[in-house]
Amino acid sequence: MTGPAILARGLTRRFGTFTAVDGVSFEVERGEIFGYLGANGAGKSTTIRMLTGLLAPTSGRAEVAGHDVGADPRAVKSSIGYMSQRFSLYLDLPVEENLLFFGGAYGLSGGALRTRAAEVLEATGLTGLGGATTGELPGGIRQRLALACAILHRPSIVFLDEPTAGVDPVARRSFWRLIRELAAGGTTVFVTTHTLDEAENCRRIGLMVDGRLVALDTPAALKRAWVPDRVLVVRGVDLGRAAAALGAREGVRNVAPFGAGLHLRVDPRRWTGVQVAEALRDAGAREVRVDEAEPSLEDVFLAVVERGGRREEVA
Amino acid sequence: MKGVLARSLVRIGAMAGKETLHIRRDPRTLYLALVMPVLMLFLFGYGVSFDLERIPLAVADLDRTEASRALVSAVVASRELEEVARVAPQDGPRLFREDAAVAVLDIPEGYGRDVTQGRRTKVQLVVDGADAVVANQVLAKVDALVRSETRRLAGPALADRSPPIEVRLWTRYNPTGRSALFMVPGLAAYLLAISAVLLTALTVAGEWERGSMEQLFASPVGRLEIVLGKLLPYLVLGMIELQLVLAFGAFAFDVPLRGSALLLFTIGFFFLVGMLGQGLLISVIAKNQLVATQAGALSALLPSMLLSGMVFPLENMPLPLQLLSRVVPARYLVHALRGILLKGNGFAVLWPDLVAQVAFAILIIALATARFQRRLA
Repeated sequence: MTGPAILARGLTRRFGTFTAVDGVSFEVERGEIFGYLGANGAGKSTTIRMLTGLLAPTSGRAEVAGHDVGADPRAVKSSIGYMSQRFSLYLDLPVEENLLFFGGAYGLSGGALRTRAAEVLEATGLTGLGGATTGELPGGIRQRLALACAILHRPSIVFLDEPTAGVDPVARRSFWRLIRELAAGGTTVFVTTHTLDEAENCRRIGLMVDGRLVALDTPAALKRAWVPDRVLVVRGVDLGRAAAALGAREGVRNVAPFGAGLHLRVDPRRWTGVQVAEALRDAGAREVRVDEAEPSLEDVFLAVVERGGRREEVA
Repeated sequence: MKGVLARSLVRIGAMAGKETLHIRRDPRTLYLALVMPVLMLFLFGYGVSFDLERIPLAVADLDRTEASRALVSAVVASRELEEVARVAPQDGPRLFREDAAVAVLDIPEGYGRDVTQGRRTKVQLVVDGADAVVANQVLAKVDALVRSETRRLAGPALADRSPPIEVRLWTRYNPTGRSALFMVPGLAAYLLAISAVLLTALTVAGEWERGSMEQLFASPVGRLEIVLGKLLPYLVLGMIELQLVLAFGAFAFDVPLRGSALLLFTIGFFFLVGMLGQGLLISVIAKNQLVATQAGALSALLPSMLLSGMVFPLENMPLPLQLLSRVVPARYLVHALRGILLKGNGFAVLWPDLVAQVAFAILIIALATARFQRRLA
């Protein structure tokens, strides 16, 4: 098959007078990890539910795996895997029974199903846990089992809605390793998150603000486009009052406490790191050390939200 | 086309298989389906009894003759009434208040003299009317006993002169008037209705609560496939329950099976489909287990107890209630069960009951599936 894995054109969903998703258009290429980023309530889950055929769009259309979602939802559902925000395994059943059930729900049966279930258990590092009762497993393991259930039928696209919500950092990292392996094997991954460091794993990122898709690019390109400021990390003693004084100066765009230090965004044409350090010392701070930092996606996100998604104001 | 059907069967099979595992792992389900009905049948069967047995009777015998003693012993001979006290006639109300007796047999002085001389005489029965059911039965019973005692006293002299009209009662199908025979078919319908509605209401609402329903909707499993897959295991369970209840009825209360078992199970089958469908519809609307349980219990319990003819005769109800009872499937099952078990009725008599069950089942499943379709989308 040719063409994008996912294509959305003017997808809109209104609930009464509230517009949850507003004219969203994008394409996801085959085999890429596509991150869908936004605050809670920005319209991420609503978009996923329209793409998976769970929710009919108010207007606009979408194609997933080459099938029109509105016209042929069953073909779409057969070719995708979906892990909903509250992915719900049957906690009273053993791990293996969960797999066998979801396999059956996708039309797999008999020996083929059993072989595939063993394969998927191995791929997600759950070999040997087949007989364990699902409810007795820790959250991180359950998430991996949920992913295993979603990829049993070898879908060409998987939709993961906040897959790592409520999972500890170690389990989270190993989960992302699984996602990268999956994509390396040719599966397209559409993943929503509001955790910004996770989004660095994505090849491209779409940013949702209040139902609108306001930015879409690779993480590096987003940083260049949205955070042209110089980002400085400041450490020292007695920074508080000095920081307040600095914040009032022209060309200082943002001063935010960051751990015991400060996070500064300044106009690169007016300020260098050395000048900032001098200014802080003049204002009473001691032992000041200033390092230049690569802007994080968090900086991008804050910049986008601050400007309400209007990039033309960036000079 | 064959491939499509085969895949659909795989999906239904997966649903049914999973549901079976849930049932096996959840003792509450098995309890609700298998233990509770038998327990209830036992309690109701013995507890809800309209049979007279050792009803406390006080006797105020002012006559104290051989004849009056003969009358008393005739009344208590069957052990349905038991003489608990010898009292004065005016003690009646006090005994009633103290629950010491429910009736006082009052034999006036001169009773023995009058009967030996063949004159008309009177005895009085004072009954505690607080419990109308017991009062009515005591009245009827004592009336019959006194009548036969009168015939005995009249002796051969009067026997030749038979009264112009004599009513002879002959009760068919439940000759001894045992309430168990009357109650068990009604109870079976009532218990099946409750457990079937509750079982499905819980399982589907649980799927909503857990969030797994959304997961199912994102898979190629169709709505009707979910409905059928969910119903199948509970249908099997329900049929086992029906047999269990009837077997227990036969074993503990000697309820006979005079008609066709096949017809009985066919009607029972469609009744179950309808009740399971009703539970499904409730849980599609109710969204959570608590509400579904309440609504399920109410919608199954009240109509199948009050409007099915299980306890209260439908013929005596006001017209609006009679009309309402026509849409209560339990009504048709109670009628059919009584017909088949006690009278040996066949298809020729009971076909309307079967038609009603099938119609209700189809309607409710269609409604549930249609309601299902609109959720989420």
